[in-house]
Amino acid sequence: MDGTRRGFLKLSAAGAAGATIGAGWRPRKASAKPEKITFIRESSYVKEFDEHFNKVLIPRYQQETGIKISYEIVAAGGSAVPRNVAIVESKAPVDAGWVQQEWLYREGLLDVSDIAEAVGKEQGGYYPAITELSKWNGKWYSVPFGNIGQCMAYRRDWFEQAGFKKFPDTWDEFLDAGRKLKKAGHPFGMSMGHGYADNNSWLLPLLWSYGGQVVAKDGKTITLDSAETAKAVDYVRTLYKEACIDDCVGWLDPANNKAYLTDQISCTNNAMSILISAKRDLPETGKVTDHGLNPKGPKGRFHSLVAVTHGVFKHTADPEAAKHFLRWLMAPKQVGDWYRSAQMYHAPYLRGYDKDPEWNKEPRFKPYLELLETAKLISWPAPADRRAGEVVSKWVVVDMFAKAATGTPTKTVIAEAVAGLKAIYG
Amino acid sequence: MSVNPVLEAARPARQAVLAPRPFRFREWLERESVFSWLLLTPPLLFLIAFLGYPFCYGFYLTLVSRPIAQPATFVGLGNFEKLWADPIFWKAVQNTIVFTGAATVLKLVGGLGMALVLHQHFRMKGITRAVLLLPFIVPTVLSTVAWQWILDPGMGLFNRSLINLGLVTKAQAPSWLGNPTLAMVSVILVNSWRGLPFFGITILAGLQTIPPELHETATIDGAGTWGRFRHVTLPLLMPVILIVTTFSVIITFFDFQLVYVLTGGGPANATHLMATYAYSISMGGGQLGLGSAAALAMVPVLGAVLIFMNSYVRRT
Repeated sequence: MDGTRRGFLKLSAAGAAGATIGAGWRPRKASAKPEKITFIRESSYVKEFDEHFNKVLIPRYQQETGIKISYEIVAAGGSAVPRNVAIVESKAPVDAGWVQQEWLYREGLLDVSDIAEAVGKEQGGYYPAITELSKWNGKWYSVPFGNIGQCMAYRRDWFEQAGFKKFPDTWDEFLDAGRKLKKAGHPFGMSMGHGYADNNSWLLPLLWSYGGQVVAKDGKTITLDSAETAKAVDYVRTLYKEACIDDCVGWLDPANNKAYLTDQISCTNNAMSILISAKRDLPETGKVTDHGLNPKGPKGRFHSLVAVTHGVFKHTADPEAAKHFLRWLMAPKQVGDWYRSAQMYHAPYLRGYDKDPEWNKEPRFKPYLELLETAKLISWPAPADRRAGEVVSKWVVVDMFAKAATGTPTKTVIAEAVAGLKAIYG
Repeated sequence: MSVNPVLEAARPARQAVLAPRPFRFREWLERESVFSWLLLTPPLLFLIAFLGYPFCYGFYLTLVSRPIAQPATFVGLGNFEKLWADPIFWKAVQNTIVFTGAATVLKLVGGLGMALVLHQHFRMKGITRAVLLLPFIVPTVLSTVAWQWILDPGMGLFNRSLINLGLVTKAQAPSWLGNPTLAMVSVILVNSWRGLPFFGITILAGLQTIPPELHETATIDGAGTWGRFRHVTLPLLMPVILIVTTFSVIITFFDFQLVYVLTGGGPANATHLMATYAYSISMGGGQLGLGSAAALAMVPVLGAVLIFMNSYVRRT
């Protein structure tokens, strides 16, 4: 108990020294402990992850501090962000939790610079791309956790039958493979619908790898209308027509998993979930499923981040207690096993886990670690602010490609996307 | 002065009438003006709390720029100006009108047919009526997820049936949610399927109020089945049809769940409705002011649709 109390004191001191701690800050006695902290999180695709939290982490924290943790799980698949928005707006009694797309509500989060910096220092530092989301105007509003990586999941057997011993390295080879596989009755299924992850995670890297960019680093100049963008758009139109299943232009995030696992497609951009489900439920498919990095374009290879971070809500009744829990949770003793419990489904942003033995257990998951080197935020190179979020939630860029795929001329789709961007960036 | 004994006897009673009667709570409660308000108050409070307040707050939001977790700044009609210049908004308006119009016509025609069939006498009529209500009873999200499977291009019920019947080959099987036009057709179909029982059962109730004597008279006068339907059934059903159509237009116009679950407004905004667009601006884009403006903009559009409908019905 003594150690804990000292921990509390230390954190209080660090918090007070940490200059601005939003409006929710009020001094408290180190001895006053809350009965319960509510921590919200999207339910994990890997059920062991939530089980580990419930069965190992919660009892351990309660034993060490006497404080109960209420783990509020929100259904996966897009309901966590609206829930967070509602929590911030209504000041619901939730103290801390998973914060995704925090560009929408960063102002509702507490400064957690002390925790983020301490955790980074302790565990090898962070991949730089994530700091552009978590760190804003010099302060950290969230503590980076892990990346629900996205790369190409493909059927090794069908690719081999079509003459591809290795996964295509360039977008041109990718198109070539797609043409052959579609002819063989195994089209690609590249999502272009109104989802969140599976569409952006290949369309944006493709755009970047052709040299196109949506908005410049200054967060003002709209740079989408370029010859490079036109090339990327033309490429997607051809890829869709000659290599893809028709349906993929309207797919939401779960659709490609369903199509892949029912043998309708031979390749798609996805998180680890396809292989995890296949190994569990369809072992034959599991054996022949593999992962490849996004192919290279003229300007190199890119991936995009599907970022998961943790933060403390500014309106929490007890900021110190919530911060104490987050600091405790992100300490190596806790967070390391938590990552491992989900087989690194959330690839750690902490470089200290790059050589973690867990990565060697299933070599087919390794691309999800490798892609972190070339991954950018989906706002890149513009700042990850609310406007970048609006571009994503209005599907401005995704729809540019989807319209081209369904027959609209390249010039028109780019002009329409630029008009959409102007409405957002003013 | 002579005293009238009769009048004298009545005096105390008169005095009693003139004197103020003691207040009786029970009597006060039973007064019509009090009792009616007493009954009205709970629903009124409920409406103010859960409809009036959000509506007024929503109206206020339309006049401000209000990013999430940030203070509001007054922009007047700025949000509406932004929407006016927004091509996706106009696409959503167009989609909403097409969606509402097509789905309502389908539901009306189908519902009328359903009611006419259910009005006949056949075995297991009760069970059939109950079963036909199912689409309306099952939660929308649940049934929409089922529809997602039905419309799946490779293994969905629709395409499997088409392929097995030899109508299309596997390569020609339509992409119900991937083709922009078919995606709109699909959401209209699913909405019609869900709303059909509402029309069917309500029109059936209307049918049952038509006195059989009118049909008998018409038959004696030589009217056939069609004549009886056209000149007896339909005119008498008109008030019911008008009410049920108005309700349905309102509900369909504001539909959100179905499109949100089935297509998310895609592909390329082909099925984006005003409700789903308002949601994506507010909750996805973090613009509560602009999103509220998009939501409020539904009211005049819906008003125009209802006025048009009303005047059309009156003319005919």
